[in-house]
Amino acid sequence: MVGALRIAIAEDSAILRDGLVQLLVDRGFTITGAVGDPVALRSSVAQNPPDVAVIDIRMPPTFTDEGLRLALELRARHEGLGILLFSQYIETRYAADLLADDAAGIGYLLKDRVADVSDFVEALERVAVGGTALDPEVVTQLLGATRRTDSLSVLTAREREVLGLMAEGRSNAAIANALVVSEGAVEKHVANIFAKLDLPVSDKDHRRVLAVLRFLES
Amino acid sequence: MTPDSTEDSNVRVRIGGRELSMALTEEQTLRMKALAHTVLHEPFTARPWKELAFFLLGSGLAGVGLAFVAFTMGAGVVLAVTVLGLAILALSLRSARGIGGLQRGLARAMHDPEPFLGRPGFFGWLGSRLRDRVAWRSVAYLALKVPWSILGVFVAFSLWWDAFVLLTLPLFGHGGGGSPVWGLVSNFFPAHDFNGFNGGGFTRDLAGFVLGAIFFFAAPWVMRGFVNVDRQMIRSLLGPDPMAARVRSLEQARTQTVDASAATLRRIERDLHDGTQAQLVALAMRLGMAKEKLEVDPEHVDLERVRELVDAAHRGAKEAIAELRDIARGIHPPALDIGLEGALATLAARSAVPTELSVTMQARPTPAIEAIAYFCVAELLANVAQHAQASRASIFCTQQGSWLRLVVRDDGTGGAQLTTVGSSSSGLAGLADRVHAVDGQLYLVSPPGGPTVVTVDLPLAS
Repeated sequence: MVGALRIAIAEDSAILRDGLVQLLVDRGFTITGAVGDPVALRSSVAQNPPDVAVIDIRMPPTFTDEGLRLALELRARHEGLGILLFSQYIETRYAADLLADDAAGIGYLLKDRVADVSDFVEALERVAVGGTALDPEVVTQLLGATRRTDSLSVLTAREREVLGLMAEGRSNAAIANALVVSEGAVEKHVANIFAKLDLPVSDKDHRRVLAVLRFLES
Repeated sequence: MTPDSTEDSNVRVRIGGRELSMALTEEQTLRMKALAHTVLHEPFTARPWKELAFFLLGSGLAGVGLAFVAFTMGAGVVLAVTVLGLAILALSLRSARGIGGLQRGLARAMHDPEPFLGRPGFFGWLGSRLRDRVAWRSVAYLALKVPWSILGVFVAFSLWWDAFVLLTLPLFGHGGGGSPVWGLVSNFFPAHDFNGFNGGGFTRDLAGFVLGAIFFFAAPWVMRGFVNVDRQMIRSLLGPDPMAARVRSLEQARTQTVDASAATLRRIERDLHDGTQAQLVALAMRLGMAKEKLEVDPEHVDLERVRELVDAAHRGAKEAIAELRDIARGIHPPALDIGLEGALATLAARSAVPTELSVTMQARPTPAIEAIAYFCVAELLANVAQHAQASRASIFCTQQGSWLRLVVRDDGTGGAQLTTVGSSSSGLAGLADRVHAVDGQLYLVSPPGGPTVVTVDLPLAS
């Protein structure tokens, strides 16, 4: 990586904002702006473009989905800007809006995830380089809501685990790490899953995520 | 009868050896003159003619309406074994409602009854129509109105008619009309035989003219009597049903309650989301950072930094506990478990303005009422602390029969208002809504310059 990752933060809770800044600075990131509302983030991103914007979904003035709308707007305006949405609740519909056309450089995490600092930082870095980071909760909800249960039933338990981790946006190496197996074993599982579900094979992680998500949503 | 001429006009009447003295004061004289004036002028004002028109139009409409409703209802009842019959019955009731509306329109100046609320689906609609109280009351009105109209035509309208006939008798010499009142009158005066033109020409004409004049001046009042009874029937049968009005006010109270509890839940969610949840996330984050710092090579642990993180996490945990306690107290004050008096004592003690408390209660209200009383006092004391610039406040809580009366008074600057600002109600208006929801009342007296007195009456059991 060339230089420190540059991060902008929009979070209306001062405690959390300060905590995030502390954590990220501690980890060697550069903070380009830490603000409490969408308007301030918009100007901060325009003046001092970051690699990733970490955005709280519920922000003033209405405390509903300001962050989500801001994220969609920033993505349209700043190509290549990574977005990590950050919320205390997971709404599957928000994930669907966010991933409508592309999963590259998108993250959607529960705020709780910052408690596991290295996982959180890893997700942030993934988003920064154009990867995807979906909260396990999003994946669980998608798996729970999918109508493809017939197709999924042909997968083994391990394959289903791998499918979930793929949907979160993890690379083969990360999946191998999480499941404590070799990367070769993961590759075999992935190949099996794609064959069984009849999905288009893709080498890019974020395309793979999209393929899996499309499958679950259809 | 020999009137004495004193200052007042005295009238002495001798009847059967007893002398009745009627001293007419000036005021009475004036009143009698006014009465005579009214009687003599009444037929030449617009009102009797309007009433006549109202009566004739209303009667015609009621006659046609009743005939139509009775016919369709009859058909509906005959066919009631099939759905078609019930549908005809429903349509009949629908038209009764419409005719009732027209009658109400004729009478003007009356509130509409509750609008029809049909349930979804054909059978829902059918059921709602058949149970439509407004329509059934309209049917009852038509059933009463038609006989009343017939009587009215025989009595009041024929007075007008006879007056017209008798007054024009000298001009045209035509026979007296055959109306019932006419018939009755001619029975009393058989000798003159008004009907048969056999009496002396001039005498007959003069007597008829005088009688016609009496009828002419009496008719407006008789007609008014009929119209007033009709109005009363319209009011009680076609106006809003008192029961329905009560139901409507209860429905409003229920809506307010539902809205208020939704707002309360939303507030609690917001408090939890912005406060405690954020606190706990920050706390977990700090502990996560501290954990990472400890996981490196023991030689290189930055103990100072770890201590800082743990310290901040510890502070955060304590703050989160305090916030949770406040939120929990907002949901249900634990102090209420020991009774209203104890809970109010806690409130008075916690109040920023020195507050005196006096409680005299014999019975214990239901928990819901106690909670409302508690939140009222809490909100009012908060208002006193925030807005009133008061140096003292007092709370009186007394039982009056089956009512609980709360009086919260402060010696502040006054000028408090019970207004609703936009869609979000002010604190006091919100309280008033809450109090109304249980049929209670909130009164506010707050002149500029103070003092402010808020009185809340709550039923002991709701």
